[in-house]
Amino acid sequence: MPVSRHGGTVRWSLRLVFGALIVFLYLPILFMVVFSFDEGATPGLPITGFTLHWYEAMLNNRVLLRAVGNSIIVAVIVSILATIIGTMAAFVLVRARIRFPNATRIAFTLPIMVPGVLIGVSLLIYFARVLDFSLSLGTVIAGHLVVTVPFVVLIVASRLQSFDRFLEWAAADLGASPRQAIRHIVLPLIAPAILAGALISVTLSIDEFVITWFTVGSQPTLPTFIYTRVKFGVTPEVNAVATVMLVLTLGTLGLAGVAMGRARRLTGRMRRRRQAG
Amino acid sequence: MNAIDNQLSRRRFLQASAAVGAAVSLGGITAACNAIGGTAQGGTFNWMTWGDHYIDTQLKAIEASDKIIAQISELAGNAEGFAKLKEVKGELDMISGDALWVPDAYFAEGLIEPFDINSLKVSSQLYSFAREFDIWTTPDGYLGYPFGWSPISIYYNVAEVSPAPDSWGVLLDPKYKGRIVIENQPEEIVAYMGKASGVDDVYNMTDDQLATVKGLLEQLKPNVLKFAQQATDSVNAMTSGEAWLITGNLGNEDRVKDAGGPEIKGFIPKEGTVGWMDAEMIVKDGANKALLFPYLEKAEVAENIAANFITHGRPLFNEAAYQVLVNQGEQDRADRYLYNKAEETLAKTTLKGPGTSTEKSIQLFNEVFGA
Amino acid sequence: MASEIVGGAALAPPTAIGVRRGARLRQLAPFLPAAVIIVGLFLVPLALMFAFSFWSTDENLDVIPVWTLENYQNFFTNPTYVRTLFKTMVIGTGVTIVCLAVAFAVAYFLARYVSRQWARIALLVIIVPFWTSYLLRVYSWQAILGERGALNQVLVGLGIIDEPSLLFVYNDFGTFIVLVYLYIPFAALVLYASLERFDFTQLTAAQDLGASPIRAFRHVLLPQIRPGLITACIFVFIPILGEFLTPSMVGGAQGLLIANLLANFFKNALIPEGAAVGFLIAAFVTVLLIVFRRYLRIEDVVVRG
Repeated sequence: MPVSRHGGTVRWSLRLVFGALIVFLYLPILFMVVFSFDEGATPGLPITGFTLHWYEAMLNNRVLLRAVGNSIIVAVIVSILATIIGTMAAFVLVRARIRFPNATRIAFTLPIMVPGVLIGVSLLIYFARVLDFSLSLGTVIAGHLVVTVPFVVLIVASRLQSFDRFLEWAAADLGASPRQAIRHIVLPLIAPAILAGALISVTLSIDEFVITWFTVGSQPTLPTFIYTRVKFGVTPEVNAVATVMLVLTLGTLGLAGVAMGRARRLTGRMRRRRQAG
Repeated sequence: MNAIDNQLSRRRFLQASAAVGAAVSLGGITAACNAIGGTAQGGTFNWMTWGDHYIDTQLKAIEASDKIIAQISELAGNAEGFAKLKEVKGELDMISGDALWVPDAYFAEGLIEPFDINSLKVSSQLYSFAREFDIWTTPDGYLGYPFGWSPISIYYNVAEVSPAPDSWGVLLDPKYKGRIVIENQPEEIVAYMGKASGVDDVYNMTDDQLATVKGLLEQLKPNVLKFAQQATDSVNAMTSGEAWLITGNLGNEDRVKDAGGPEIKGFIPKEGTVGWMDAEMIVKDGANKALLFPYLEKAEVAENIAANFITHGRPLFNEAAYQVLVNQGEQDRADRYLYNKAEETLAKTTLKGPGTSTEKSIQLFNEVFGA
Repeated sequence: MASEIVGGAALAPPTAIGVRRGARLRQLAPFLPAAVIIVGLFLVPLALMFAFSFWSTDENLDVIPVWTLENYQNFFTNPTYVRTLFKTMVIGTGVTIVCLAVAFAVAYFLARYVSRQWARIALLVIIVPFWTSYLLRVYSWQAILGERGALNQVLVGLGIIDEPSLLFVYNDFGTFIVLVYLYIPFAALVLYASLERFDFTQLTAAQDLGASPIRAFRHVLLPQIRPGLITACIFVFIPILGEFLTPSMVGGAQGLLIANLLANFFKNALIPEGAAVGFLIAAFVTVLLIVFRRYLRIEDVVVRG
């Protein structure tokens, strides 16, 4: 790729912005981790001393651990469902002839426009009075889907929109079945949008408080657990849990990265071997 | 770009997501197993309560001995808990609530059922007056099992606030601009200012009284640094020195000291104050009602309540626990927190409850504290 | 699985105007789950709330079907609400601009100069902090920006300021910083997803043909990523109007935003009163989108296909 005259400078300043953003994003995380080792009973400055007490306390706090487990279960299910449902809907929205296209599209942006607390209250009343559902993690998942599906739909749709249909038709002309064309042409091209949608879904779900608070039954999630400790307040146990979650997530991603690299090397080797043979 | 590259990158992407997904769901499943692990006898009941009504080790001990598991979700506020129970009803078995919320909201709405408190053996450990509060007494029985209580006090940083204040008026002093941290509960803030203006029944104010309160709220606004989401926020602000004055339950002086903060003192304003006392209520038609008495018999014993006092630091209604505290050498702290002065202290406070002026209070608060 | 179902819709031939009914159903089938969610779990409950917003609350905090316009009137007779909504929009606009600018720079960097594999890892690194508790991260911001906070200690330590500044938090600045912090990752993800497919040789080509870098950027790159930019705008600006935790935690007593006023009603179980404010916020956003649609080309995303 040819580089323009200013390419070097631009590239370096952009790299700087990227670095600054990472520092900006991880600075509060650093404090969060530090507080989990602080002797003081409230997560805040000044730091009074080093202790592992909060990690031990965390392991013995079953309500807290259950809340973490619930949050993870909900986030995983929500992100999988939202990604699949949202991607399918985006295809139809962009490519099929729908009776009321404008109204449909606006309906999908509405959940983003309506304040979450209103969505939460309306779902609570609807589940309890109209549907007579028992509140559970299931109703929480339903509530989260209301806000995550539109995000996935919008992201995937905006990517599909300027997608070159001729690639597909060309593939069809060359004898690809519709299924093959989707697998080999369309999905790879919209993969970044699907990934972005999935990541946003996880992010929205795992830390969602307002809608969760109204739709949850007797099983707390981590955000509702933390938020509701009004009379006494949070202790650094919660920081300890968050630290462990962060380390596990980053560790998993690291492992996935390694696995990914290895898989690529393997396939590369196999391809070379095949070409050689 | 060529098709093979795309295919490979997609495969890598799928592999990576599969790896992440597997790891995350494994974590989730493990947690789920831990969460479910119940046993044949006993059972699980659902309890919505404040975060300071239980101690995890005590819950575990009861689970080990009696196979009774308390599945807890936490309350954020009286109105919120009440609104939620109204929708879910018997999905909860027990719920905690404050003072007048118990008869005027929960009972009036038919959500809870009265019971004979004396049929609980452990209730003999309570102060006798706690079994006989008028507001919780009905012909069909008592409305809740009394737990803890506290008046709302003002705490001040001794080095920064002088002379020693004795009135709500200190919160309005321009000297303390941006130095006050107050709970994020609009109806309570309006009630405090009601007290400051000399009103007694601050949850049922008239329009004239509210008009006076509006003036005080406007004076208060510049002094408030922030609203505390939770008690920790006030303690933190006091500890770091950002705040010089906070409002809150009994026990903050020790919490600030324990956190390494400056010397602070608390007082109950001379105009009077609001306060709460809470109880465990039995939800009507709860599916696991049978577990509640056996649970309370175990959970409410003096040793547990004394430990709860040490951990959470505000007085409770268990008289026998006071003796336990004395025996443990904690009498000083118990006395400072008015542990055995519940009857006279509560008589002087306006108890929290649903009021006729709630909506107007919120409108007023929004009007003053909005942009 | 998903791809198979989608197949029918995706590969509808370009000239298929008279589609047969069976094929048409097959075409719309993938849309069903999303439609069920939006209609069944969003529009219907919301319609219920809309009715509630014209009802009243009695002394037992029960919603009673006594029709009234009072909940809406309150919003307009009391200038606070409109003023606070306006202030919220000003802050929201500022946050959106900063978020988009920084996120664009980062997404551009990742899409143009970094391998696809590393770019995706970088995006994960950007988003992962958001998988820990929001409240804990905001507490950390309090510890950083507070009077005795880390930033003040560093600045005083370096002799840049003489005494700790009170200006970093518990005011609109604090809200601004933390909102930027909270929404940048969303903007970055969306912009990356739209920049990733851009063919950067087009920029070089434009410059080879004599266009200045800025011209090339404006006339070649911007039009192609416009849907992504608008999506990012929507993802940042609109949720800010519903933010109440951040302002109440770092905005201080002088920094409440419109959703705080709304939340105060719901916290006290005043559902009709809160619902009315909520619907008015949504209505303002809708009006705003319609008024500015020409400039935003909002129909790129929302209206046209």
